[in-house]
Parts: sequence; structure tokens; C-alpha cells
Amino acid sequence: MTRTLLFVVGGLLLGGIIHVVIVFLVPTYASNDAWSEMGRFGQDRQFHTLPLPEAGTERVPGMDPRMLQAVCRFNLTTGPLRVHADLPDEFWSVAVFDRRGRNVYSLNDRAAEGPKLDLAILTSVQMAQIHQNPPPALENAIVVELPIDAGFVLLRAFVPDDSTLPAARTALAGASCGDAI
Amino acid sequence: MRFLIDLALAVVIAIAVGICSAWYAVDRGRLFGAVTAGGWTAWPREGGADADPYTLAMFARTGEVPLGAGEGLSFTADHDADGAPLSGKCTYDVVGETPAARLWTLTATDNFGRLMDNVAHRPGFHSREIVRASDGSFLITVSPTVESGNWLPIGTVDRFRLVLRLYDTPLTTGSQIASLVMPAIRKAACP
Repeated sequence: MTRTLLFVVGGLLLGGIIHVVIVFLVPTYASNDAWSEMGRFGQDRQFHTLPLPEAGTERVPGMDPRMLQAVCRFNLTTGPLRVHADLPDEFWSVAVFDRRGRNVYSLNDRAAEGPKLDLAILTSVQMAQIHQNPPPALENAIVVELPIDAGFVLLRAFVPDDSTLPAARTALAGASCGDAI
Repeated sequence: MRFLIDLALAVVIAIAVGICSAWYAVDRGRLFGAVTAGGWTAWPREGGADADPYTLAMFARTGEVPLGAGEGLSFTADHDADGAPLSGKCTYDVVGETPAARLWTLTATDNFGRLMDNVAHRPGFHSREIVRASDGSFLITVSPTVESGNWLPIGTVDRFRLVLRLYDTPLTTGSQIASLVMPAIRKAACP
């Protein structure tokens, strides 16, 4: 009897380990994650404006229907990324997510001090290279060093009402996401 | 023989406990990092690099994208002030004030976080379009039928949720959130 009890306890402990392993592996094997979904909008290293969230046709769940959003998927192994945008004089924000959908960087218009966004995203190695020989092109950019390879940038522009929607669409369509230098 | 039976028992227990608890934790509950204030729940760590593995697993399954810490903070409520679940058949008053934020939006979603189709095609309110009382407080009426004032229509659903997103807010840590003054959700009428 005691021996059976010992096996039950062992089973519970092993169950705990299985639990932890599953939870950590879910992001690796999920096929429905944000990174995959964002890839369905078009090519990488380009901004794609997401449709304004509407009932029944939401492509990405849990998005604010008052925010017009554009997404750019990237992979830093081909070089640093540069994001340029000239956004309307309303609230806007930019967020960088890693391959697993974890937010690694975010910024809003007030922190960016103006309607123009100039953001450069680099890996630690690329940052070290730039430190040795700083390119003048990056002088005015917000330079961010991130410990990621792949990810996506999400631009969100607040749309107070329908009359401001065209301006937001134009601004997001004009946003660029490409090579840094 | 007894050893084999015991071993089989241990393996069955391990698999059942491991898979069921992992599924429950990822699919149903967000066990860690929740902070509640006045019936509203937020996960302040979800928008940071230190998000917990349960939150990351949940996001990976749903495809949801959280608000970054530099963007804002999202609060969810699915119960009224008396602790009863929000019912799509009832009318609720959302009254009071929100914590400091440059901008906020209030959206009604179904129980899965999806937007609901409604008669007025209004997905929600934001802080600049609501009519306020002279002291700055507001009253938003959440109802499936037409109401005067700030009417937030909801679809014909059994249960729904309210999502309050605060943009550019100084709230970053959980300790401040527990003492926040949040708008109260009061049941006004229920047929």
C-alpha cells in the first residue's frame, strides 16, 4: 500500500514536470500565434495596414476598434531595421514584439516628441558594429538594441471618428520599414 | 506484476495531471500577475519583456497582441459591482472616473474577447467623445436597447465583457493599481 502511494506521489511530481514543459513549449508549437497571423497580411519588411477591427471580421483578436494599425514583420539576421513614419497629430504608439509575441519595446507619440517616428532596431552584434563606426544616417533616429532575431513592429494610430480615418490611413500607408543604412 | 501496475498508475496520473493542468492554466486561467481594482482586472506585466510563461502561452494560442508598457494598459471586467456576471439582457451604468491617462477607450466584447455586432454600429466610447457631468465624471449606459446619453450598445449575447484601455498612463507597476479609482459597473435594470 505504501509503495502504491509512493508511485502516486511520483506520478504527481512527474505530472508537474509535464505541466511546466507543456506551458513552455506552447509558444514554440502554436501555429495560430500573432507572428504567423501577421505574416498573412503580406511580405516581410513592409508595413501592411490591418483592417479596422469590426464585429465578425476581426483578423487579430482583442484589438481596439478605435486604433488603426499597421504591421511590419522583420528578421534582423538580414540587417538592422529602420522604421519611418509621419503620423497624424493624435495619439499613436509603436510596439515591437518578438517571434513569440512578447512585447520587447514600446513607445508613444509623447515619448517620441513629435509626429515623426524614426526608429532603428538592431541586435547586440549590429549595435557593436555601429559603435565602432557610427553612420550619420542614424544621427536623429531612436536606436534600440533588442535581444531578438525575428519579430514584428506594430504601429497604432488613434482614430477619434470616421472623419480622421483617411488621414490615419494615408499616414500608415506612407510608413516605411526597411534597411537601416 | 504489482510493480507494473504501480508504474502504469504513476504514468497515467502524471499524464492526466500534467496535460489537464497545463491546458486549464493556459486556456482558462491567467494565474499570475493579475491586479484587480474595483472589479476591473489588468495584467500589467503582459506588455513587458518579463511576461510570465502562462501569459505567453495564452497569447500564442489566441494570437492576441497585448499593449506594450509604453503604450498603455488594458483593464477587463466581466462582473458588476455586486459580483454578478455581466448579462447581455441587462442594462448597466458605468459611472465615475478613470485613472490618469491621456486617452482611454471603453469597448464591449463577448465572453471570448470578440467585438459584438450591434444595432448602432458603435464599437465603444473614447474619452473625448463622451458627455461628462460638470465635475468631470461620466455615466455610460451599457444596454442592448436604445438609451439616451452615452449609450454603449451590446449585441444579443448571454455574457459580455467590458474592456477599458488606458493609453499613455503613468500606471506601470502593480502596486499602484490596487488602490486605483475605477469606474463602477452598476446594474440598472434587468428584464
